[in-house]
Amino acid sequence: MYRYDAIDQAMLTDRAAEFREQCRRRLAGEITEDQFKPLRLMNGLYLQLHAYMLRIAIPYGTLNAAQLRTLAHVARTFDKGYGHFTTRTNLQLHWIRLRDAPDILDALAKVGLHAIQTSGNCIRNLTADPHAGATAEEADDPRIWAEAIRQWSTFHPEFSHLPRKFKIAVTAAAKDRAAIKVYDIGLRLHRGDDGALSFAVHVGGGLGRTPYLGPLIRERLPARHLLSYLQAILRVFNRHGRRDNINKARIKILVATLGAEEFARQVDEEWDRSDKAAADLPDLELARIRAAFAPRGFETLPPVSARLAEAKAADPALARFARNNVVPHKQPGYGLVNVSLKAPGETPGDASADQMDAVADLAERYSFGEARVTYEQNLILPHVKLDDVPAVFAGLAAVGLASANIGLISDIIACPGLDYCALANARAIPIAQHIATRFAAPELAETIGELKIKISGCINACGHHHVGNIGILGVDKKGEEYYQLSLGGSGEDDASLAQILGPAVPAERVVGAVDQMVEVYLRERQAGERFLDTYRRTGMAPFKEAVYADAD
Amino acid sequence: MKALTANRLDDGEVVFWNAGHWVERFSGAQLFDADEPALEAEGHAKADITHLVDPYLIDVVEAPGGVAPLSYRERLRALGPTNRLDHGKQAAGGADVEVLAQAHGAARSTGRVNLIRRK
Repeated sequence: MYRYDAIDQAMLTDRAAEFREQCRRRLAGEITEDQFKPLRLMNGLYLQLHAYMLRIAIPYGTLNAAQLRTLAHVARTFDKGYGHFTTRTNLQLHWIRLRDAPDILDALAKVGLHAIQTSGNCIRNLTADPHAGATAEEADDPRIWAEAIRQWSTFHPEFSHLPRKFKIAVTAAAKDRAAIKVYDIGLRLHRGDDGALSFAVHVGGGLGRTPYLGPLIRERLPARHLLSYLQAILRVFNRHGRRDNINKARIKILVATLGAEEFARQVDEEWDRSDKAAADLPDLELARIRAAFAPRGFETLPPVSARLAEAKAADPALARFARNNVVPHKQPGYGLVNVSLKAPGETPGDASADQMDAVADLAERYSFGEARVTYEQNLILPHVKLDDVPAVFAGLAAVGLASANIGLISDIIACPGLDYCALANARAIPIAQHIATRFAAPELAETIGELKIKISGCINACGHHHVGNIGILGVDKKGEEYYQLSLGGSGEDDASLAQILGPAVPAERVVGAVDQMVEVYLRERQAGERFLDTYRRTGMAPFKEAVYADAD
Repeated sequence: MKALTANRLDDGEVVFWNAGHWVERFSGAQLFDADEPALEAEGHAKADITHLVDPYLIDVVEAPGGVAPLSYRERLRALGPTNRLDHGKQAAGGADVEVLAQAHGAARSTGRVNLIRRK
């Protein structure tokens, strides 16, 4: 994977030193909170309900073992021994002291980590397909392009004061594991019959108060022009974005107002008159980045592992883990091992420092030192020999990370909600815990099959409720926590926005309502149908009837 | 009734005003029956930029066994997160924590007096 060069490293060291001085001046009373707040936010430091929260960027969700160990070290030394992986593939530490923040940034900078681009109206930390470099489905390794965008966008002076924050996601596979249609810009790489790489460019997707799926504004952008085209999009946004109204400032509103066609026309006009060569990545630099993501030295192995087959036959728990959590790799004899951070009853996305260390050890020993973070708040060991899956399973089980529930009903996305977040209206974590506990029995979860529940504690939708098969939104109804249920969302290649089921229900009714909807699905489903497929066929009516039948 | 709360600058800890000092437990907070002394205390706090962030007044009401912030958000600040009862102020336990944990109802998502957004 990409290693920061001397320029990147110097930038991080300087930035950490600069923030140390800013913190000193704040603590000495030389600057006010109003003056300091934008500075700390530019370094990912928020003030939440109980303490400061540090949001650490994990560019395109890729970590090496040393970085993961550093995150564990920081969580153990400066926080309460755990961290929370988010739907933006960042890590949030919820109990940070301002006086420790400079030391934390120093520790992070030593392994090429930072909290830059995790706040503010800039181009934020990028996300990418977490299967990048490991899946046979991809046209190219999307991280090459994500890294190019990272270098281009970091501290980009023209795009440091956008009308609103700006998020970009990149994939190179048909199956969308990066939720590109709900991003400000979603990019999908494609390789033509002639071998030429191009991007399908979606713009103006987003969740929050006004959810949109991003329309396609260009189907085949030659890959070499990626940066000049992004520049043109951002210039149009910078020029026309609604700075007057924070609720209308995201690019999705501009695209929806102008219409995708007119927006695309303006982008093309801007692009045509720009100096493309000045913005586009030189071939030499692209080659340098590409080399950093060169395929690993995989062994030549038979596609099926006799050792794994034997171990699975002897251990049904391992068999279940392999069935649900291990995904085919492009290299025969290897697999991607999903590490669920969703043990039923635990906080979705939380990992203790010991767990992070354990995953780092397993990554080093079995996965070329690499780990990934997914927007579904799980981790991945991307390059594991199938022969080693039993050992990895045992290593994960030893630290409580062997839940075999990837993509199942207990693999729930939840934002921190009112338990931590200053913006939330209601709690999200306890709802997730209750639902996951209800469906904790692995046989039951497997019988139900793929079912994605996503929970947000407020309309900002960090928990992606708009694209949940079952979406749950916490609302404040006359001072009580209520939950609005919606159905039929998907953030993947078959993306759709969930529709509201009916009136919000009180907290204690949420698990029962999910139960009722699952029963409807099990009753109505036809062969091979996932929950989402059944909903799409039957529509809302049977679900609505089941949940609200007893209501007065 | 009102109380004055803030986050401490250097570590972010939730604190409450009591006669010129800041305490970490809600049970130690000074309760104001009248507006004038409450606003005066808030004025002091706002001027103290080297120790505090964002001081504001919250509504406090009678609760079984004592008093508690009206808003659930403020009760969570005074207790800690409900998913980790070993974290935050609640970890220390005690009768005052119990009062807050048992209080419910009539919560507004923001506990801030005079700060309800009308935009």
